Amino acid sequence: MPKLIIDDREIEVPAGTKVIEAAERLGIKIPRFCYHPGLGSVGACRVCAVKFLEGPFKGVQMSCMIDAKDGMVVSTTDEEAVNFRQYVIEWLMLNHPHDCPVCDEGGHCLLQDMTVSGGHGIRRYLGLKRTYHDQYLGPLVQHEMNRCIHCYRCSRFYQEFTGYHDLGVMQIGSRTFFGRYQDGTLESPFAGNLSDICPTGVYTDKPSRFFGRRWDYQRSPSICINCSLGCHTVASGRYREVVRQEARYSEAVNGYFICDRGRYGFFYTSNEERPRQALVDGKEVSYDQAIREAREKLGELIKSTGPDAVACVSSERSSLETQAMLKKICQTKGWQGPHYFLDESMAQKVKSASSRLESGLAVSLRELESADFILVIGADPVNEAPMLALAMRQAQRRGGKIAVIDPRPVSLPFEFHHLNVTPNEVNLCASLLVKTAVDLGAATDLEQPGIEFYQAIPKLETVSSSLQEQIAKVAQELKESKRPIIVCGTETVRQTTPALAADHALLLQATNKQAGLFYLLPGANSFSASLLASEDGSFLETLEGIENGTIKGLILVERDLLLHFHDRQRMELAFEKLELLVVLDYVNSRTQQRAHIFLPTSTLYEAGGIFITQEGRLQVVPRAHLSGTPIAQVSGGNHPPRIYESEIPGGEPRPGWQALAELVHEEPQPDENTTRSSVLNGLSELNPAFATIPAIDELPEDGMRVSSPEESSPRFSLDWIHELERKESPDKSLELVLVNWTFSTEELSQYSPPLMKLEKEAAVFMHVDDATSLGLSDSDKVTILLDRGALEASVSVKENMAPGIIVMPRHRLLEWQKIETLPKFVSHEEIKKVSV
Amino acid sequence: MDHNEDVIHPMLPAKLRTSLAEHIARVDHPRELVVDVMFAIQDQFGFLSDEAVEEVAQLLNMSPLEVEELATFYTFIYREPVGKYVIHVCDSVVCWMDGYESIQDHLRSKLGIEMGETTSDGLFTLLPVCCIGYCDRSPAILINKEVYGPLTPEKLDEILENLRAQG
Repeated sequence: MPKLIIDDREIEVPAGTKVIEAAERLGIKIPRFCYHPGLGSVGACRVCAVKFLEGPFKGVQMSCMIDAKDGMVVSTTDEEAVNFRQYVIEWLMLNHPHDCPVCDEGGHCLLQDMTVSGGHGIRRYLGLKRTYHDQYLGPLVQHEMNRCIHCYRCSRFYQEFTGYHDLGVMQIGSRTFFGRYQDGTLESPFAGNLSDICPTGVYTDKPSRFFGRRWDYQRSPSICINCSLGCHTVASGRYREVVRQEARYSEAVNGYFICDRGRYGFFYTSNEERPRQALVDGKEVSYDQAIREAREKLGELIKSTGPDAVACVSSERSSLETQAMLKKICQTKGWQGPHYFLDESMAQKVKSASSRLESGLAVSLRELESADFILVIGADPVNEAPMLALAMRQAQRRGGKIAVIDPRPVSLPFEFHHLNVTPNEVNLCASLLVKTAVDLGAATDLEQPGIEFYQAIPKLETVSSSLQEQIAKVAQELKESKRPIIVCGTETVRQTTPALAADHALLLQATNKQAGLFYLLPGANSFSASLLASEDGSFLETLEGIENGTIKGLILVERDLLLHFHDRQRMELAFEKLELLVVLDYVNSRTQQRAHIFLPTSTLYEAGGIFITQEGRLQVVPRAHLSGTPIAQVSGGNHPPRIYESEIPGGEPRPGWQALAELVHEEPQPDENTTRSSVLNGLSELNPAFATIPAIDELPEDGMRVSSPEESSPRFSLDWIHELERKESPDKSLELVLVNWTFSTEELSQYSPPLMKLEKEAAVFMHVDDATSLGLSDSDKVTILLDRGALEASVSVKENMAPGIIVMPRHRLLEWQKIETLPKFVSHEEIKKVSV
Repeated sequence: MDHNEDVIHPMLPAKLRTSLAEHIARVDHPRELVVDVMFAIQDQFGFLSDEAVEEVAQLLNMSPLEVEELATFYTFIYREPVGKYVIHVCDSVVCWMDGYESIQDHLRSKLGIEMGETTSDGLFTLLPVCCIGYCDRSPAILINKEVYGPLTPEKLDEILENLRAQG
């Protein structure tokens, strides 16, 4: 490890560290524009000049371009270097419009900082400045090219880092222009990062434009709960609302960037329609009164029919504290549940994912970037968890090969092999691939069940010759890899797939590969839900209980059944049979509007909470601001009303765990922090996996992995082979595959006005062969008859997907909840073209 | 990624399109041909229109932006219509030492246009160019890619008269 001296202080850094980074480790921030640790060095802007006094280089050099070496003596304060930097900044500022007072970047602008710190205080240039026409770049990013200093960060990020090609650099010399070919919405789902990485105000955050200066905001570390990855963010709040979210660096999870769903998915918390007042039969009452009435009604109900007449359902967007409180209540009160998953098969998939994620297999999102082969089994990264696609892109840029086994028309911003087999063939295809790549003779310490598992995999000849060829080609790359990682989805795969993925990772490990395993789960807190989920009973049984009258009371915690359950009509009828429906939530869902008693809960930003990501990483989110109606909504754009009260208007919502504690206990409850601590202290009683977690304030910055103690979870099961034998697809009918899209399907981001503008039209995807036999062509409108009626959508005809399926997004504007049972098959007769 | 799912612009003559497509099919990395394709289309139409940029993108499976990045970088790709004779005046160091500015001034006053403009009769377009490697003949200019130099105002007059006479 090279040792060098920077400004008279010695430091030892890993080989390959640039001098600019070494200085940063000493707390010396050398000016920079083009250099960004996430993007690397190009040496273009010349502002990071320092003077090398001793060592292999001499004189003024760019600190971002030179690796730290033994014996180097570097000065950042040498007069020659200081002068050099001052001139560089002066010429970068020649054309800058000096519009800081009206620029949203003002206050957190690298150019301001560098200009001041570089010593360029007085303008000498009196000539004309070059000016540009700005472009419309969509609802997220505001363009203002006159401010540009040509550092190239944006085009490098956009094209090289994310792999999208609709923003770049045009023209030459002083006309150099960063933007799009024509005005239009940026195509990359990572475009919001432009506002973060631009060192000046060329790209600024559009939804929060003109709302405040950086120093006006209450800035608070947070995480994103719009998918299961748990990327780190900074929430900026002002006047009782979160107005902006930025990426926060995380070594283990997201690195420097986040996706646009995560960045702009927060608007649910300040949604004007959000119910902030407790309701009894639709009438506003005080929180305490609502709780009293709920308690009374629950008491009556239990008295007449017993405790198991009450059931509880929560969701994957509730914090661990809320989920755990509900679990504890069900245990002590003898109520049914809680169910966190509506679909039993999904519950099983998440369960097997969380129990099979051994510490020797689990990799973090950042570790995925170092894979030299990534095998994706049943996942569509850009649509399900966009940051996964970005991590895979980095692996691919480093020479990693990528193969995706998925029936959907998967599109990724880089080259990859797509094995677009049918949902039934996914397991088989993955197994054939691994079998072809693994040489059993080389598997030194594989146990007997592993050998049997390997031998039970069918012969390659069982699939079509074209698929054989593809598998053989990909298998060769897998064989040559040293650090392969299996990414396994849970959304569309069969119940056995998560376990199968873990077994294949073990097989690869047995052949001396440093194999890893990475799951995608359906929600932000699915992992935690799975650790807490009750062993007996399913949501479906609860639903049947409501229908046959054994369950009379239902408590829903942050769960919209009318959105998520596949049969809305059945759910509505069930609601009508209920004697008591208590809903605790922070969004104005359809279900919330059906509640007999409604208790408003706080959002992540108002209450904080613990979430466990898909890799079992437990992360604590602190509160960003107190609950309250945003001042903009209270005041209608004017000065807030001059009413003096001790309470914050709209401050009624309470954390889910606190509202639940108050709901079940007659006696007055301690404050929410005490309640929270007592829930967390009792976690290990709910699942021993929690025993290893230290106190919240002792958790490391990046959180920590909850190590599942279930080493005993069965390895190398052959269940998937039995599943293969049960092919139930009726002749000539198409399996309906419900999927998520980057925008428009995820529950919380559906409340985001800027993201609504990015939604694509709700369309179903169909393989070209199926479309042809149905007489359909691209963009045709069709009606699809489901069990509870028809729905209308346009058809998108694709070649790069499996035949025999209809891929349907759970789109906000598509009423897909008309399905009696899953899996659902649609016959040709049930699909009709709508003639215009 | 496939950038080009849109409809194909029918601007290229079928013969040119076929010959370009054949050429592209022969190479391993089609985008290496982007400059050649742009020149081929420019030779046909005199300049590279927006439709042409999109056509090039489609032929090479690039995004229109990626083509535009190159089209606007290179001096000899014209993104606007140009005159029959495109005059590039070298403004790099050696030509500057030998007085390119007087050559440029002479051209501007003689033709009555500024740099970057085209005469109203559509005959001449005046553009700058950086070093063209004819430092031994400085100050030098290019007219339709043919070099002239060393130049004096008198020689320029003669050249322009000849071109005018040819129409």
